[in-house]
Amino acid sequence: MASSDSDDGIYTERTALVPAPSYRPNDTPTTRNRVNAPRGGASAADGRVLEAEEEEEELTLKYGAKHVIMLFVPVTLCMAVVVATIKSVSFYSEKSDQQLIYTPFTENTASVGRRLLNSVLNSLVMTSVIVIMTVFLVLLYKYRCYKFIHGWLIVSSLMLLFMFSFMYLGEVFKTYNVAVDIPTVLVLVWNFGAVGMICIHWKGPLALQQLYLILISALMALVFIKYLPEWSAWVILGAVSIYDLLAVLCPKGPLRMLVETAQERNEPIFPALIYSSAMAWTVGMATPSDTQRSDTDEEAEPQSHVTTSPEGDQEEERGVKLGLGDFIFYSVLVGKASVTADWNTTLACFIAILIGLCVTLVLLAVWRKALPALPLSVTFGLVFYFSTDFLVRPFMDSLSDHQFYI
Amino acid sequence: MNLERLPNEEKLGLCRKYYLIGFAFLPFLWLVNVVWFFQEAFIKPAYSEQLQIKSYVKRSALGLLVWVTVLTTWITIFQRFRAEWGEVGDYISFTIPLGTP
Repeated sequence: MASSDSDDGIYTERTALVPAPSYRPNDTPTTRNRVNAPRGGASAADGRVLEAEEEEEELTLKYGAKHVIMLFVPVTLCMAVVVATIKSVSFYSEKSDQQLIYTPFTENTASVGRRLLNSVLNSLVMTSVIVIMTVFLVLLYKYRCYKFIHGWLIVSSLMLLFMFSFMYLGEVFKTYNVAVDIPTVLVLVWNFGAVGMICIHWKGPLALQQLYLILISALMALVFIKYLPEWSAWVILGAVSIYDLLAVLCPKGPLRMLVETAQERNEPIFPALIYSSAMAWTVGMATPSDTQRSDTDEEAEPQSHVTTSPEGDQEEERGVKLGLGDFIFYSVLVGKASVTADWNTTLACFIAILIGLCVTLVLLAVWRKALPALPLSVTFGLVFYFSTDFLVRPFMDSLSDHQFYI
Repeated sequence: MNLERLPNEEKLGLCRKYYLIGFAFLPFLWLVNVVWFFQEAFIKPAYSEQLQIKSYVKRSALGLLVWVTVLTTWITIFQRFRAEWGEVGDYISFTIPLGTP
């Protein structure tokens, strides 16, 4: 099954970690400046400013810790859905001969070297597609082609919510061998998709929106697990996390430019397709931001942006935002681990990803700028996967063979 | 989207839109409407728009009930009589179970 370009658009831009309004980098530097300037000045005033500053930092760190935990839940949920599906519905772990057009090189080759070469080439193709998509979307955003972006996002989420969920439902019914009639299926898929579109692109309860975002990330991850060839998937994971690192941190990186442009224009960055752990934007914002919101949705993908919330009229809850691409690639990693290896490895990868996420969030609290969420987690995940699969598992197996308990 | 932050007229507007859009074969939307606005309609202290919100929630709940009844009845009939309908049964089936019953 060849995914369309819109698919690419979705996952390309979703890997980002944004410390939403909680960290107000704009505030603290200025207070620091004020503190440094009047040297000989009223020490009491200085002391008070310093105190206030320290308190603010403490508060942000504490808030940060709370939101770290709040991110654990959706990430775990997404991975749980993916693993549960893979373990029960065999469709997603069967190898098919169909490949995505983004991975044109086959892995059914005679020699190991050839296979490795093909998987590297596949990942190069995939990564370049992602880069091109990202740059294209950044350009669109820069030149304010909001309608185009908006339309693209709508089409992508339509496809995800309807087509992929239809496929998924069909496979689940086949697995459990139940007879279902067409009218019922149509009603189910229509309800799921329409309410999803409403919650994501318009207004809906926050919990439901978060749930939908988790579900579509899981669906996307399942598609990847099914249609990416074995070795290519691992190399692609590595390549995309390197790309994420470069795109977010390099000065000319597309994602960084996206963040900066959005900040200049004082717009919230892609609210709808970034998962936020709390309501991060003020409701009192005018409509221009609304249209831009839906636009930036999908683009927001591999972006870690710092959204200093526009100082709104109303107070907003602080939160951390994680791009959906992060969810997708984390789940792909854990899902592939559960397809090809046993539970030890799967759990090890899961823990590794959470540790990576934790470290990334700590760095986020320290550096207070947009950070890529993929590199650390994926690195840990890959290291844990390969070491558990090749070292720990045979070790545990031979230990239990010899009835030796440690 | 947090309901707390919205002014009352907007809450009413939202509830009403959810109710109206639900007529497009979307009982799930009615369910979301009922759950989301339940607290607003029945538990919060009265305010001017609350009466209308209450009526919309009640009507959504009614519509939801009707849909659930219809769907349950249809699914029961289908599951029970599918095999006996022969070709028609197969024609309207999405997935057909394998093996012998």
